[in-house]
Formats: sequence, C-alpha cells, structure tokens
Amino acid sequence: MVNLDDLKKEALNLLKDEKVKYIIGYTEGSNGTSAAPAFIKNPEDTDKLVWNPGCFHNLTRFLRDEKKRKAREKHPDERPVGIVVKGCDSRAINVLLQEKYIKRDDVFILGVSCESTGVIDEKKVAKKLKGKKAQKIEWDTNRNLVVTTEDGTTKIPADEVLAERCVECPVHSPVVYDIFFGDKIKRTTDAQFKSVEKIENLSQKEKWDFWKKQFDKCIRCYACRSVCPMCYCDECVVDTISFAVTADTTAEEKAQRIKWIEKSPTPSETFIYHIIRAIHLAGRCIDCGECERVCPLDIPIRFLNKKLEKEAKSLFDYEVGFDPDQLSLVSSFKDEDPEDFIR
Amino acid sequence: MKKRTGVFVCHCGINIAGTVDVKKVADKLGKHKAVAHSEDYVYMCSDPGQNLITNAIKEHKLDSIVVSCCSPTLHEKTFQNAAKAGGINEFQSEIANIREQCSWVHKDKEKATIKAEKITRSAVERVNKNESLEPISFPVTRRAMVIGAGIAGIQAALDMANTGYEVVLVEKNPSIGGHMIQLSETFPTLDCSQCILSPKMVEVSKHENIKLLTYSEVQEISGYVGNFNVKIKKNPTFVDPDKCTLCDECTKVCPVLTSDEFDLGLTGRRAIYMPFPQAIPATYTLDDKHCPGLLPIACGKCADVCDPGAIDYDMKPEIIEEEVGAIVIATGFDLYEKEEMGEYGSGKYPDVLDGLQFERLCSASGPTQGEVLRPSDHKVPKEVVFIQCSGSRDPEQHCAYCSKICCMYTAKHAMLYKHHVPDGQAYIFYIDIRSGGKGYEEFVQRAVEEDGVVYLRGKVSKIFEYNGKIRVWGVDTLAGKDIEIDADMVVLAQAMRPSKDADKLAKLLKISIDKDGFLQEAHPKLRPVESVTAGMFLAGAAQAPKDIPEAVAQASGAAAKALAILSQENLFHSPQVAKSIPNLCTGCGMCVDVCPYDALSLKNGKVEVNEVLCEGCGTCSATCLRAAIEVKNITPYQIYEMINASLGG
Repeated sequence: MVNLDDLKKEALNLLKDEKVKYIIGYTEGSNGTSAAPAFIKNPEDTDKLVWNPGCFHNLTRFLRDEKKRKAREKHPDERPVGIVVKGCDSRAINVLLQEKYIKRDDVFILGVSCESTGVIDEKKVAKKLKGKKAQKIEWDTNRNLVVTTEDGTTKIPADEVLAERCVECPVHSPVVYDIFFGDKIKRTTDAQFKSVEKIENLSQKEKWDFWKKQFDKCIRCYACRSVCPMCYCDECVVDTISFAVTADTTAEEKAQRIKWIEKSPTPSETFIYHIIRAIHLAGRCIDCGECERVCPLDIPIRFLNKKLEKEAKSLFDYEVGFDPDQLSLVSSFKDEDPEDFIR
Repeated sequence: MKKRTGVFVCHCGINIAGTVDVKKVADKLGKHKAVAHSEDYVYMCSDPGQNLITNAIKEHKLDSIVVSCCSPTLHEKTFQNAAKAGGINEFQSEIANIREQCSWVHKDKEKATIKAEKITRSAVERVNKNESLEPISFPVTRRAMVIGAGIAGIQAALDMANTGYEVVLVEKNPSIGGHMIQLSETFPTLDCSQCILSPKMVEVSKHENIKLLTYSEVQEISGYVGNFNVKIKKNPTFVDPDKCTLCDECTKVCPVLTSDEFDLGLTGRRAIYMPFPQAIPATYTLDDKHCPGLLPIACGKCADVCDPGAIDYDMKPEIIEEEVGAIVIATGFDLYEKEEMGEYGSGKYPDVLDGLQFERLCSASGPTQGEVLRPSDHKVPKEVVFIQCSGSRDPEQHCAYCSKICCMYTAKHAMLYKHHVPDGQAYIFYIDIRSGGKGYEEFVQRAVEEDGVVYLRGKVSKIFEYNGKIRVWGVDTLAGKDIEIDADMVVLAQAMRPSKDADKLAKLLKISIDKDGFLQEAHPKLRPVESVTAGMFLAGAAQAPKDIPEAVAQASGAAAKALAILSQENLFHSPQVAKSIPNLCTGCGMCVDVCPYDALSLKNGKVEVNEVLCEGCGTCSATCLRAAIEVKNITPYQIYEMINASLGG
C-alpha cells in the first residue's frame, strides 16, 4: 500500500533541504471525488498532499509552464521541480526526455504505484452514487472503492469505476522515478487495446457517421490540447493566435504565417484539427486519457490516440515512454518494418 | 514586390500538345497578375526554344520564369541555365510538369488543359516566393577509392592512377584478381585468362599511385561527394610480407588441410597458404579460422621453420582511415550455390561441377594441370552434360534474371572439353542461346560445327547417381522426346548472384540495391555507372551479370566519372537545402535522427544544417511537428500557395 505519510515526509525533507524548487502534487479537491493539483513551496504545506483514487490528473503537463517560466527568468533557479507521477505520467516524462524538452535534472520524480487499481472515472462513480455527493473515496485491499457519503459508506468493485485507460494500462507503476512509493506489482493486461476494437469493428460508413457525430459536437475549446503534456509547441497549426512572435520575428515571417485551418468549428475544420492532433501524437501519446476526461462535450478523443498506439505497436513493435533514449516513431526504422503499403 | 514572371509552355511535339491545348494555357496564364509575358513553343528544350526564353527575359524585363514542360529531372538544369543566360538568378526558374503529370496520363483534352493551367499556376505561385540562391562551393579531396579488386576494380584503379591521382584499392580476399584469375580461357578468342590478367595485377602492385589494401573490408563511411572518410579494417595475415622470402617451408610443416577456395574445393590447402602462385601481394596468409591454435599458440610449427621470422602470431586487425573524393564499387559476383539446386543433387555428387570448378579443371594451373578428369575417380569423362540456366531464368524456384554469360561460357566449356578429350561427347541443354556480342554467335557455331557439341533445347528435370555415372533426365522440346543420358560428368552453368555481403556494403555506403541484390544504377539507360549517391560509381558484375569486356568497359566508364570529380578543385552543391527556424525549434532532434544524409545536428538545443551534406530531400521538414525546418524554395508557405492555386478556379 502507498503510505501517504511517507510521501508527505519525503516531500517535507525535499523542501526543507531545499533540494527542489517546489513540488507538484495532489491535494484535496472540492467535490469529494476529484483531487486537485497542488503546487507546494512551503515545507509546512506538505501536509496537504493526498494520494487517492481521484488523483487522475497528469501533472507532467505543468512542466511546460515551468519550462516557459524558467526561460523568462534572468537568473533562473536551477533546482529541479518535485513532481508526483503515476505509471502513465512517468511515461510522459520519458517522452519529454526523449524529445529533449526537459532534462532529467529538471525534475525530481516522486513515483507512486497504482498497485492493483488505478484512478477512477468520475462519471462512472457519479452514476453509481445516483446524485449523492461523495465526501471521501479510497481503495480497500480487495479492489473495492470505498465511498463515504452523508449516508455512510458504500463499496463498489474497482472494475466498475476504474477509468478505461487504467483497465487497459500496461504499466501500473512508474517506469522512471527518484523515490518510489507503494508496492512494485507486476500486472499484465491482455486487453490493452480492447476499447478501440469497438470502433474497429464498425463498417466504414458506421465509423464515418460515428466520428461525424462526435466531431460535430466539438466547440474547439482546445481543452484537450491544453491538458496534454505532449502539446507543448509554442505555435500550433490550428490557431494563428498562438504563433510565436519574438523580437526577431520579421514582418515577412509574420506575413508568411499560414492559416492551414479555419478557426470556426465547422465539421471539416474540426475533423482536420483532431486528425492532425492524433497524427502529431502518434508514437508520443502515453495514454493518460486526460484529453478525453477534460472534454466538455464528451468526445471520445482517446480512441484516436489509442488506435495509433495500437498501429505503432502492431506494425513497428514500437512502444513509447519506456526508454528515453529510443528514437522517435517517425524518425526510426528497422529493416523488417512492413512496407506493403508502398506500391 | 510584384514579380514579373514569364511563362513558357512547351508542346513537346504532340507529347503535350496532343492532349493539352497549350495555346490556351499560355493565354490563360498571360492574364495572371504576376505574369508579364507568356508564350508557347513546339520544343522549348531546343536551342531556339532556349533562346526564346533568354530573349524574353531581357525584352520583357522578367525576374522569374516558369517552363511548363516535362519532368524537372530532365530539363530543370536546361532552363536554369537559360534563366542564367537571360541575366536572372537560376533559382528564379521553376518547372511545371504538364507532361508526366498531365498530358501523358489523361485523354480528355478539355480537362487536361484545365489541369495544365492549374499546375502552371501553382508553379507561378511557387517561383514568386523563390529566393535567389548561389551554389555552395566546397573543396574536393583529390583521391579515389576502389572497392573490390577483380578485373573491374583493377581496371578502374589503373585508369584513375594513370591520370596521376592516388587510388586506394580495397580487396577483401588475400589476393587481387577476383574470379577472372580463376578462369582457364576466355571466350570468344580462347586466350588464357591468367596471361592477360596477371600483367594488370603486377601493374597494380607496382603502381606508385595505387595504395593496395588486401584482406581488408570497409567498415564505416561518412562524408559526401568530394570528401568521403572511409574506415577500413585490415585483417591480420600473421605474415610480414616484407620479411617473407616465399621459401614455402611453412606450408610443408602445417598440419592442417582444408578446402582450397581458389580451386573451389577441388584441392586442399594448408592453414598457412598463398592463394595461387601469381597472387598479389605475393605473400602467405595464415587463415586463423583453420589454424589449430593461434591465440594461445597451440602449434607454432610454421614460425619454427620460418628462417626470416616473418610469422607474427600477435598481429592484430588494423583500422585504416582514408580520405577520398570519389568511390568506385566493384564487388563482383558469386555463383548461385549448387546446394540450392535440389533437382540437380544439391551439390552432393562429386562429378557434378559448377562452371567455375570446370574452369579450374581445364586450367593449366588447376588441380589436374589442365587434364579434364572426374573428381571422384580421376578417370577421363567420355560423356559430359552441360546444363545452362541452372538457377537463372527461373522466377518460381531460383533467380528470375538471365545471368547473361552462361550461354557463351558453356559453349566455351564444351569446346575446351573437346580439345582435352577429342573422343568425348559434349551435350548442352539450353533454353535459348543468347550470343549477342562481337564474335559471339560465330563462336557458338564453331562449337557445334567444329567440335560436334550436341545442343538439346530443353530443361533437365533431374540428375542422380546411377551405376557410377550421373543419369540425366531431360527433354528435347524440338524433337518432342524425353532424353536420358548416363553422363560421366555434369557441369551446371550456375546463375550469377551479387557477391556475398554486397548488400551489407551497400547499406554502409547508403547506395541502393535492386530486387535481385545487384547494386542499383542511378538510371538504367543514361546513368548506368553511377549509383544514386553522388560520388559513388559502379563497375562490373556488382551492378548486373556481365562478361569481361563489359565489366572492363564499365570500369573505365566509372573511372572517367570519378575523374570528373577529382579533376576539379571545388565542387558545387545545390543551395536548395534545409533551413532551420530557430524560434520554432524545440530541439527534439527528430529531424536529426531522420536525416538520411547526416546533415543535421543539434547545437545549443537548436537544429543546425550542414549545407554541403544536405540534399534538400525535405524529410526533416515532413517530420518536424513544429514546422521549424523547411527546404529553401519549397517552403510550407510556398506549398500552401501552390495548393491554393491548384484548388482555386
């Protein structure tokens, strides 16, 4: 079992010894089921850290802000940032290392094992509670979610409330860390790509109709992009607003900014946005599922990324986030790679 | 700034004009706001056509041109030169390919004309955003390397060395000479192969401009045309050639007997050996694979008897680095293994030989001193069956291609056999006789008429041992009969295949191989001695099966091509290379990993382009998620404008 007190103690020591700038972790959220990201600078605040089934956020996304902040500072604090990561999140760190976006010394990783469970899908829990408000949630030792409401406690089997990605998760515990909390349990899954099969089994027309319906909902709020640890480009192909302008950006460069996609959320443009994002995440997405979780319109974005993850694995035997030194999917090849699509 | 572009639409005879209304294309484009002048002409690539462009540039004060014609691989350079002659930068010229990409692939004239307009319009958009560029100049290392020292490699090395340039000749075997030195006589003149080759070998060894590295293999290569850096591993021979007096005492005491590569297993040799008497360099080699114990020394007999002390068991592989400007690859061929031929006994029967073994059997320096004898019982074979296309022209089972030389050498074999055994009978099974070449057809006729060789048109289905003879089951398709011959010896004209490990070398050198594993030429007709990589040239049977005169001709051709590089102090490189946009670069290094030319590197977290190495292929640009690298004159912005132009009405 993950001992929260150990986590708090280590965090306290790190801050007291001034080994880290601050710690990105989880704290109690406002609605009982969800935890909330916390940025802890004062040693005494380490007591606010929590570890529970509602810690579903991928905190590595905040490393992007840290990097940008640091770039702006004249005399940046070179100490690392402490960060609490789950198995999936730790793979995101490996991708950021692989892409040289961060250096290993930039982070002090507090790796927490998901052991035999994972994190919850809030929507699944809400359905089970039928409108009641949770005050506290935790896993018991028999893979049950113990929910405390004003009416007392109820037990729900883990498999009924786990986030889908946790059911399909191949790692369960951090693959890169400085300190490890909990038990290193080897767990395998034979259902790593089960969710995509639902879509794969549809006919071409059914697929088209499905995605048309889904993308029609999209309001292009870009929450999926904002929450994604891999969407760290300064300039995104979909919106001219984010184009990087620095002191040496010439008028000619500004004039040559291409508007590949219209801003309006019309079906064709929205399709292109999601397809480009999926392609740009091929071989980079570590399936933290955050894009889908934050979507206000419930678009199953994760299917797209999961499908590409499956393609990468089945075609090229490529899995991302385990080795920061491996070449990226698109910049590497093996002699035995299939090439029957070249005609 | 508004451009003044000239549009020139070519008819290409009826190649384009037959399907595209060229006048209409020229008229329509003439109305484009950036086009100051447009016209059409029957052959734009002709001299008058080029003059027309040059004059139009001057007359209409054009600052850029678009030529709507054939593929840029054919005439891009022509029209760049025409632009230059007109006084504008050569990179202000673009091609709109309305032949391969339009007229040749369409039938509907109306629609094809619209498409041609769109292609041309998008080229106008592109050229409007072209930068004026100057070719990048860089110095040349004026030495060459030849890989493989068979007849092709020897010829290429001598041709280059004789013009005064230094040549490094690398050979993986202990001696130079290749397969030609194994041959007995050569068709169609029947002159002795060793007699005509050994003078060239001697010339190589004595040539002051040739640095010979035998028993050596290329390990690593970096650099680019004009400046290659090659790392070569020289394997230890364990014999110091300078001390060795060729007394031959060592082979007398060596206890090991192994099969002789030079005689293709027809004889044996010792673990310390000289490949053949005329070997260059003339020295012994200790074969560490067969020596009973080198490290630690378990035998040591050869060193004991070596008076001059030439044998050094501590010799280590040596890595030699060479800087060269051009490379000729002449790695030759190997025979398709008899073991692959299940229907012909999988190499089990001692009296079933391949063509090269039969050469050794006929050779005056061979295992039988030129007497044709059966390897099994040393009797003179009275009936010999020669089987052509053994492994060749058999796409289902073996090699799909024709090995080209077998028709001729089988006729020669039959003839040589008759010269050695006048009362013997030679049969040749063939599919077709391919005797194209000077004096070749007459040679085959001579075999039939003067030497009474029986040609049987048909395939052999099976051969097997029967009563001490080799029974051959075949068919004569002209007579429509099954044939059964109890032969004393069978000779298989095995297919030629690329030499072993040629594919690995090709990968190392980053040149391509074709579907059969032969080295790929840049163009099958017009650039047959060039590889697709600049500065690397092909010679001999490494590129395709060929006979000696062809191999020699190609070697001289490759040498001439290499000399065209060496004869220049500086080379020029296209400036249409990648350019990084540091603001957008996050330093992820994907482009660095993906670059096939090693032209990119990371410096202070940003990508940097080595312009001399960059070929402008654009793989980096396609890989970059952040559009932080692009190729000059084909930038995303230009592509965007081109797409707009082709989509717009």
